[in-house]
Amino acid sequence: MIGYIIRRLLTAVIVVIGVAAITFAMLHYVAPSPVYIVLGTKATHRAIEVWNRQHGYDRPEIIQFLSYLNNLIHLNFGYAYKFSQSVSALFKENAGRSAYLSGTALVLSLIIALPLGVVQAVKRNSPGDYAATAVNFTLYSMPSFFLGLILIQVFALDLGWFPPGVSDTVTSTFSAITHVRQLFLPIITLALLNVAAFSRYMRSAALDELAQDYIRLARAKGLSERRVLVRHLLRNASLSTITLIGLSVPSLLAGNLLIEILFNYPGLGLLFYNALTNLDYNVMIAYTLLGAILTVLGNLLADITIAAADPRVRLG
Amino acid sequence: MASPALKVHDLTTEIQLSRATVHAVGNVDLEIAEGETLGLVGESGSGKSILGLSILGLLPNGGHVTGGSIKLYDRELVGMKPRELREIRGNDIAMIFQDSLSSLNPTKSIGEQVAEPVRLHRGASRKEAFDRALEVLELVGLPRPRERMADYPHQLSGGLRQRVMIAIALSCEPKVLLADEPTTALDVTIQAQILKVLDDLEQRLGMATLLVTHDMGVVAGRSKRINVMYAGRIVETAPSEELFTAMRHPYTQALLGSIPRLESDASKPLLSIPGLPPDLTHPPTGCRFAARCRFATDQCRAQEPPLTGSGDHQFACWNPVEGPAIITVVRPTASSAPAGTVVASVINEPAPAVSAPSSNGSAPLLELVDVVREYPVTAGALLKRKVNSVKAVSNVSLYVNPGESFGLVGESGCGKTSLGKLIVGIEKPDGGHVKVNGEELFRKRGGELRRARRVVQMMFQDPYGSLDPRMRVRSILREPMQIQGIGSTKDQDKRVRELLGEVGLPVNALERYPHEFSGGQRQRIALARALVLEPKIMVADEPVSALDVSIRSQVLNLMKRLQAEHGMASIVISHDLAVVKYLSDRIGVMYLGRLVELGTGDDIYRRAAHPYTDALIKTIPVPDPAIEKAKTEVGIRGELPSPIDPPSGCRFRTRCPLAQEICAEVEPPMRRFSPSHQAACHFPLQTPEPETAAANGATSAAATGVS
Amino acid sequence: MAEPQDISAVGFGEDLGQGVALIPAPSGGLHQLVPDAGDVYATSSGWRLAWREYASNKLALIALALLILVVLFCFVGPIFYHSNQTLSNPLDQTQPPSAAHLLGTDENGFDELGRLMLGGQSALEIGAYASLVAIVIGTLYGAIAGLVGGVLDAVLMRFVDVLLSIPFLIVVLVLATKYSGTVLDISLVLGIFSWLVPSRLVRGEVLTLRTRDFVIAAQTMGANRRRVIFRHLIPNAMSVTIVNITFLIADSILALALLGFIGFGLQFPNTSWGDMLGNAQTYVTNGEWWLVYPVGGLLVIVVLCFNIIGDALRDAVDVRLRRR
Repeated sequence: MIGYIIRRLLTAVIVVIGVAAITFAMLHYVAPSPVYIVLGTKATHRAIEVWNRQHGYDRPEIIQFLSYLNNLIHLNFGYAYKFSQSVSALFKENAGRSAYLSGTALVLSLIIALPLGVVQAVKRNSPGDYAATAVNFTLYSMPSFFLGLILIQVFALDLGWFPPGVSDTVTSTFSAITHVRQLFLPIITLALLNVAAFSRYMRSAALDELAQDYIRLARAKGLSERRVLVRHLLRNASLSTITLIGLSVPSLLAGNLLIEILFNYPGLGLLFYNALTNLDYNVMIAYTLLGAILTVLGNLLADITIAAADPRVRLG
Repeated sequence: MASPALKVHDLTTEIQLSRATVHAVGNVDLEIAEGETLGLVGESGSGKSILGLSILGLLPNGGHVTGGSIKLYDRELVGMKPRELREIRGNDIAMIFQDSLSSLNPTKSIGEQVAEPVRLHRGASRKEAFDRALEVLELVGLPRPRERMADYPHQLSGGLRQRVMIAIALSCEPKVLLADEPTTALDVTIQAQILKVLDDLEQRLGMATLLVTHDMGVVAGRSKRINVMYAGRIVETAPSEELFTAMRHPYTQALLGSIPRLESDASKPLLSIPGLPPDLTHPPTGCRFAARCRFATDQCRAQEPPLTGSGDHQFACWNPVEGPAIITVVRPTASSAPAGTVVASVINEPAPAVSAPSSNGSAPLLELVDVVREYPVTAGALLKRKVNSVKAVSNVSLYVNPGESFGLVGESGCGKTSLGKLIVGIEKPDGGHVKVNGEELFRKRGGELRRARRVVQMMFQDPYGSLDPRMRVRSILREPMQIQGIGSTKDQDKRVRELLGEVGLPVNALERYPHEFSGGQRQRIALARALVLEPKIMVADEPVSALDVSIRSQVLNLMKRLQAEHGMASIVISHDLAVVKYLSDRIGVMYLGRLVELGTGDDIYRRAAHPYTDALIKTIPVPDPAIEKAKTEVGIRGELPSPIDPPSGCRFRTRCPLAQEICAEVEPPMRRFSPSHQAACHFPLQTPEPETAAANGATSAAATGVS
Repeated sequence: MAEPQDISAVGFGEDLGQGVALIPAPSGGLHQLVPDAGDVYATSSGWRLAWREYASNKLALIALALLILVVLFCFVGPIFYHSNQTLSNPLDQTQPPSAAHLLGTDENGFDELGRLMLGGQSALEIGAYASLVAIVIGTLYGAIAGLVGGVLDAVLMRFVDVLLSIPFLIVVLVLATKYSGTVLDISLVLGIFSWLVPSRLVRGEVLTLRTRDFVIAAQTMGANRRRVIFRHLIPNAMSVTIVNITFLIADSILALALLGFIGFGLQFPNTSWGDMLGNAQTYVTNGEWWLVYPVGGLLVIVVLCFNIIGDALRDAVDVRLRRR
């Protein structure tokens, strides 16, 4: 088990380095140097050259990459020229708020989706199942911002229960937590989107498990349907959903992006959006890397959880 | 006789599908007394499993009992409240299923799973339930149960898992045990152990047992009465002796006549039942067997026969038969030939004399010399290190003469399939030689290799996987000729039609896709494909084991006939000794990668020299109650050792009753018992021939042959 | 009722066919010991069966019909419904629906219904191109990895792992800062990062197919690699590919909408549904519903249709292959 974790960790490190290389190459191609943000687009050719030399942007790409990697190891993500701050400081400030939004939405969606998927599987082809499937499918096919817009229209503008966006009073992570009413719509939007994906998957995982012979044997033992579900089905069906949850960690970040833009919520997504429109090099690369690292971590956690929970994996 | 523990009367079960209703079980009556075993025999789709599930109310989705009654003593189960029924399930009536791997929850320890019904039905504490679980696991003969309680199902072998499943069923001492194909997924030696466990427990606990199976041999020895089901109906019910010797229903007669038997003369063809079972979404009016019955009359097709006959022996037939079919084959042209001449021998080429490689000095057609095949076991995620190897085939030597049929028999994991792949050249040996006509064909390359492939063709076990689902039958049969560049399109087409006729398929099959055929029909197509290139050798790996009993004999007879007609040598690989004996002149017995015995069908069956062969024969269930009931031994003890780390010396020694020290130290050489008969054992059951020249195995036997 | 039980063969030999043993049935006819194989039941080809299975799914049929309507609406609609989409008209700014403009106008005075058609064209085109790029790259890449195997397979698939770790939307956004504006640019950007999942699926399919008996059978007949690949592996792996195309189109259309919403859309006079929703927040607040819900609704319907069709196709193909 420990050997397995070490092996997986090593692979994860290799993947992260690979991702860093690809991200770096790609960004370098899109925006070779942050010089235009600093000096403006009208800067003279000469001034640009001087600035690039001063900040090391004239060196060969491979050297630039290695020095970037070196900084990365020291948790130095470079300087955000547009924001006139170090990227680390910017991220530190915004990460908490994003994590709060994503985390709440994830937990909420799991609480709804997992039981929903199982119930749908058990009562498959009932009117309730059809209705839930229809809603899921529609949500699944909906751009996140459009769902947000609909919710704003209904709950903020028509009913007036919640504010349509997050006000400027939300500055710290703590204030985000205390302004429940303001965060209600963003969290619900994000959660609903995840419910659609999770419950659809959970339903099919539970259906697969329900068709297994051990469910029949459990019934033949005289267990009540409830016990069959709780004692036998739930755990085994959840096992295959763990991978999906692991995979969805980074998509929460991307989902966050649009929701944060829509609701004007000051998190990492909004930061990235602003960096994007200004081509703020170091923020873009750091955000992309963060997404990749979260993916790798999500995968890793999922694999380890499965290894711990499934004796077939644990004991080989 | 005691009052019946379980009484089913006029039961009808239907399964509602999205677009049709399957009339799975209709008007079924049966009774089982305490301490009695009732056999329920039928092919797949006959409704026998649905009947079992109806009793427990565990029907698949859409299934429901539409009429009749099921009584446990005097409690009616049909229409009972789910709650009450749950109290009976696992407590008064328990069930054992076929597939122990998927029937046990993969993420719960076996101790928990056995204890679960005890806690549920007896309200036992955790501790009490675990004690009880330990007790039952001991009862079913799980070795070292205390340590195994914490194991998970995937850590146990199939046989041990089946014992666990029995333990679950017995944990609450049920009054009725429903065993649905309890041993079908197991090897014969393990099957014998499990059946023994069931027999013992049933007697000790006085349960009423319903034994559901497709295998006439399994029910023959252990049930007092047998019910035969066909297409959702019980067609015959009789005390088992009577059913086997004086059956009245043509289906029972045909079914028993179609099973290849160890003790019978392999030269007699098997009785075949033509066609396929009816589609139960639209069952035919009249007798459901009429379309396949030799005795069917207009009445049979119009009117469904009721169960009639004396109280003990009942059957549903308008034109009943009396006793088993006797097949005598007479050759009309050569009247001097004795009755019972082989079908095969009628065909132009006489079957070759069974002996060492052809006596006229020429080399055998196929020769394997010390063939070794090992599959690496790797570890590591990125860099695959070889840590060990599975010894699939270890130093096997044998030969096959032109036109001869050779059978290879052994349990799963004995390496017979790997050996088959080596012979057709899909895999290459890690050591030794595979020679065809004295040449190592598969060491060739390019065009030479392609031409060489014509000589050896193959038939596969899975009729669903061996035909490309996207090709029409015409293309499937033409492909070998296209690859080999034989004939014009017109010639190829002609040949395809010929072959289709030979395997008994209509011409309209040409434009069809494989999914439109039944399993038996697909196996015929596969056989035709193997014949297209007129190979010298055909390898058939478990050609009938995926087929239903009534379909098997069709394919077996066809294979036997066509092999002789085409003058091919054949190598039939099977776990079923009876099938191998029916098809083969000579038989090789494999155990854990080694060839342990080699001989004619009679050498193997009547004069087995190796204790493994002997035990194997004794454990094979024979569809004859007299033989089965006389059996007392369990056969082979214990489990198959791991092929990664096989026992030293003789690989069978860990399970052999005769094993001594030398068996662990010295690997036994092949010894000769007669010109055709060899076995590798230190303590053979027959007296070997005095000469020791044969000690080097088959090859030297070939060299010193009996010319 | 007793019938003769001794069934002795009377005919046996050349004149009665190829060594077929015959036994007389009591009814008088002859009965073959090697009987015919029974009837061959079904009569339809593989694809027809798949279509029948698909057609039995009412929802999938509705989705298909709806999709055809949308395609007609976008590409044929402009022929019947003329509207000015090139010159902005300040006098007609942001008008609610009227007889002249069935769905009103936007803030540049463009007719919203006409714009809907224009945006639909680019959505469907980009969906088709991007999925085509992805499926071609993905199929080739996956097939090569699966067929060659060994070290190359390991390296190729690790590369896919690495690329898959970078969230799709983020990569696309970063690239869109430089490459967006034309249909081709966006199609390429989307396509070049969508082939990863199909390549994995195709590789998996090829790996399973390689061990299937019918492929081994072809080898024993002497088929060379090329024949095995083109006659057996690729045709059988196609179903995975085809099913995947529909999901890829759905995803591409969604991604395009997000790009447009964020502001990396098509250049004027071209437009996409996402572009039209770029200021949706303001429209919603101002109560200009006709600028939000028709576009958004159509977008959801199209994506939904592709997803439903994909699901139904997968089931249909599964049935065709699994049917026994």
